[in-house]
Amino acid sequence: MKNDMTRKTLVVVLILSVLVFAGCASKKSVVTGDTGKDQGVTAETDQRGAQEDQARADAEKEALNQSVDLEKMAQVKSPVSDINFDFDSSAIRPDARAILERNADYFTKNRASAIVIEGHCDEQGTAEYNMALGERRAQETKKYLVNLGVNESLMKTVSFGEENPLDPASTEEAWAKNRRAHFVVNP
Amino acid sequence: MMKKFILNLVLILSCFAFINFNHAVLAKVYVDIDSPTFRPMPIAIADFNNRAPGTGKPADRGSAVAEAVRQDLAITGIFNILNKKSFLEAGTAVDKINPSDWLPLGADYLLKGEVVRNDQEIVAHGYLFDVSRGEIIFARKYRATADQSKALSRAIAVDIMRALVNDEGDFNTQIAFVPKNGLKSDIHSIGYDGTGLKAVTGHKSILMAPRWSPDGRLLAFTSFKRGRPEIYIRNLKSGAEKKVAAFEGINLCGAFSPDSRKLLLTLSRDGNNEIYSLDIDSLSLRRLTNNYAIDVSPSWSPDGKKIAFVSNRSGSPQIYTMAADGSNVKRITYEGGYNSSPVWSPRGDELAYEGQVGGRYQIFVIPAEGGSARQLTSDSANNESPSWSPSGRQIAYVSRRPSQSRLMIMNANGSSPRQVYETRQKLVMSAWSPRLK
Repeated sequence: MKNDMTRKTLVVVLILSVLVFAGCASKKSVVTGDTGKDQGVTAETDQRGAQEDQARADAEKEALNQSVDLEKMAQVKSPVSDINFDFDSSAIRPDARAILERNADYFTKNRASAIVIEGHCDEQGTAEYNMALGERRAQETKKYLVNLGVNESLMKTVSFGEENPLDPASTEEAWAKNRRAHFVVNP
Repeated sequence: MMKKFILNLVLILSCFAFINFNHAVLAKVYVDIDSPTFRPMPIAIADFNNRAPGTGKPADRGSAVAEAVRQDLAITGIFNILNKKSFLEAGTAVDKINPSDWLPLGADYLLKGEVVRNDQEIVAHGYLFDVSRGEIIFARKYRATADQSKALSRAIAVDIMRALVNDEGDFNTQIAFVPKNGLKSDIHSIGYDGTGLKAVTGHKSILMAPRWSPDGRLLAFTSFKRGRPEIYIRNLKSGAEKKVAAFEGINLCGAFSPDSRKLLLTLSRDGNNEIYSLDIDSLSLRRLTNNYAIDVSPSWSPDGKKIAFVSNRSGSPQIYTMAADGSNVKRITYEGGYNSSPVWSPRGDELAYEGQVGGRYQIFVIPAEGGSARQLTSDSANNESPSWSPSGRQIAYVSRRPSQSRLMIMNANGSSPRQVYETRQKLVMSAWSPRLK
């Protein structure tokens, strides 16, 4: 059962990641409303089970809608640790350097098809400014990992600004946690 | 419903072609509402008389018509609506004024009227008087279907605004905003009178930065619908959405140009985030800033010649302006460590923005050429995201406390703050629409 769930998550993450990267390159306009048509992925009717078929069907439906469930995405656990930042800063802190070295080590030892670096901010300041700040945090993190030998072409950046805090509280402690770069690793 | 409303409004407006000029309309009385000594104008609005053709007691529509005019004028922030219980007048004809009945109440203006037909159709006459001069300002006839009594009252209110402040007011406008619902939010809009709350988008995602096109046809915004920030333009009539920017990095929506043909954006596709102008038909881009700093939140001046934006190039977020081609960058704010969200007043002479003071955000205005800022809000909430009304007399903003958010409007000088909408959700990013047809 647990194994099934993991597989389901994997399939969703895989398809979502394809979507995320498709989004980076394409300029197609969005067609809304169409669902359910057979397209693309053909089902392998092996022993993986009905649950996984359902997950794939759901993901296909989402692909047709070109819409991504951010809540599901946020629940996927990362195999590597987040790093944190100072207020209104995108500089890599000394404590983050050690973490990034471990992460770089993981990325070189474990084959990943893609690494999405998410930049996040605390709720202080304006949402629009924080979007730019989050992007900058993700970019600085990416640069640091490139210098440590991680393949640049595997890494993409996404800013969530202040929109997806780990801890919604309005305290210094919560803010410190929320100022972070998070890594979504697709195997 | 909206369509019907518009149809009926057209019907009412077309009525103006048959205005009864029983009385010569006097030279217009424009009140200087920008004067620092301006006080809300005391106006008496009497219940309209009911006069039905034929015999029998007419139904009372007159008091409802008058009450709706009172409500419309009350939320403009520039009138003091006098209590009808204090009215003394008796026996004066509907198209005449006896100033001694009204001067003791402190009324500067008086609206009287009568409903002369009230079956399937309402026909009303409205008379606006200048009390101190004892003169009539206008006499007009209005017509609407029986279920559109509010629209008829709205037309009277618009005429009063035209006569006294020389524009049609901010009626028939909406305010867009985002009530946060975790990662499943959508842009909503509400009438500026607090009615008609509805979801505009159906993305259930992170939605940001709603921006109306000045022609009222389009709404641009940023959405994470596909997992990352991309910019969409929605045709408000058809509901069709078009993705106009989906480059690598951030795609953040700025303001439309005055001709509604270009959209300012913040993109990081060239590495660092910069401000660009996008032609919304050809989707061609023009880069306007080139600076290793955060440059966001661009806003076009009403004459299209300048752009205000936020940059941290000095070390902290501050308001800057530049020419529309990106030249002549000028820093505008110098006080405070965090100033953002600049929006140009419709007249083009001022910028409203939010600035941090005492650990909270408050709304300020500053001359667009630079100068000293005036703080408009000072309560214990975080007051953010200012947006001017089309008339320029009012500013909308969101006012947040830990477990309560309000969409507020105030007069542009900071007076008479009043609530449009209240919720426990976190409200962000208010944007006042142009006048919608």
